[in-house]
Amino acid sequence: MASGQLNSIFDLFIFLFSSTFWLLVVFVFIIAAVFGYWYRGRSSRTQILIKEANLKTKQIAELEKINRELEDKNRELYAKEVELLMANRRLQSLESAKSKFISVTTHQLRTPLAAIKWTFDMGIKGQLGKIDEEALEFMKKGYQSTERVISIVNDLLRVDTIDSEKAEFYFQPTNIVTLIESVIGEFSNQTKSRQVEIVFKKPEKEVPFPEIDEGKIRMVLENLIDNAVKYNINGGKVLVELSDSRLNSAESSLQISVIDSGIGIPSGEEGKLFQKFFRASNAIKQEPDGSGLGLYITREIIEKHRGAIWFEKSQGSGTSFTFTLPLHHKKV
Amino acid sequence: MAKKILIVEDDEFLRSLNAKRLETEGFEVIVAVDGQEAIAKLAEIKPDLIFLDLLLPNVDGFEVLTKIKQDESTKAIPVIVFSNLGQPEDIEKAKKLGANDFMVKANFTLDDVIQKIKQVLG
Repeated sequence: MASGQLNSIFDLFIFLFSSTFWLLVVFVFIIAAVFGYWYRGRSSRTQILIKEANLKTKQIAELEKINRELEDKNRELYAKEVELLMANRRLQSLESAKSKFISVTTHQLRTPLAAIKWTFDMGIKGQLGKIDEEALEFMKKGYQSTERVISIVNDLLRVDTIDSEKAEFYFQPTNIVTLIESVIGEFSNQTKSRQVEIVFKKPEKEVPFPEIDEGKIRMVLENLIDNAVKYNINGGKVLVELSDSRLNSAESSLQISVIDSGIGIPSGEEGKLFQKFFRASNAIKQEPDGSGLGLYITREIIEKHRGAIWFEKSQGSGTSFTFTLPLHHKKV
Repeated sequence: MAKKILIVEDDEFLRSLNAKRLETEGFEVIVAVDGQEAIAKLAEIKPDLIFLDLLLPNVDGFEVLTKIKQDESTKAIPVIVFSNLGQPEDIEKAKKLGANDFMVKANFTLDDVIQKIKQVLG
């Protein structure tokens, strides 16, 4: 038997106690542990991956659903946009048709109105031959009625100009005192026939020239004073007051009030006063003809000047309208 | 000598009223019913003042005004636009073309017209 061969129990026994054997055992254990660990790690990672994959699939499905919904919403929005665009176009063409309608009708109305007005005027002044007292009175009434229709037609035109933003404003430093005096002067005939007195109260100091559109502010003053005279009582009073008390405020402005001793504004109707075509019930009773556009136009003009207008009950039954005019015009 | 005034107006009644009023005031009145007639008459007669309507058949008032102001022989004649248009853009346009004044017919009486003529003729 060759030495070194493990063919006897004794040799095996010896081997069991040798370091080589133990090293082998340790080695096998280490390998088994490493493999076991790797395998466990691998399987848990796989599970995590599977879970993740499932989750992702679900999320993708959800996202797809949301996507579809979004697409639907998008289509709806687009449809709405088209709808709005069409509506806007319709509105614009309607607006321009309305504008054209008003300008044509008012023009067509003005021509025969001018003819009627001139005829009455020539008749009244005796330029068409002599007429007797009674006929003269009738012709005067005819003339006044024609004038009223003309003024309504003019109001309609003005409203249309202001609504369509066609009205142009030219702001220039203006002598407001002279302007007010000149407007009051225009009412001399009306105040005589109605026995209404107009008083103008202005500050003692000289008033600065505000930057305003003179023609438009003239319109505002005419409107307010006309209302104050028209809706007054016989023997009533109108006070036009110019005040510079706001000159030292944050935005220096002038304040103008038109205060009357007239019929007032019925309670409950205050909120509608500046509405287009609105006329107070007692105003209609006193003066059946009128467009209900004066105060609407007035407020539009004041707001274009960046001023404000409001009204209050004045002493007794009257009304006081007040508006402010900033001294300087700033472009918006 | 009486001053000559040309009235360009297509509405028959307005034209006759205006003419009658001007004649009683001692003016010599020439009338044209549309733009074409106005231009034709201006080739022969040189009035002292022209009353011009804007909405006219065939050749409108703006065109007539342009022709008047381009022609050396009529350039100096004062033109008062007498129309029932009267939106700010119409007034602006007429003034730019050289109109001396703009009157909205319905807003004036014929006495105002006489006054305006006297003021323009000096």
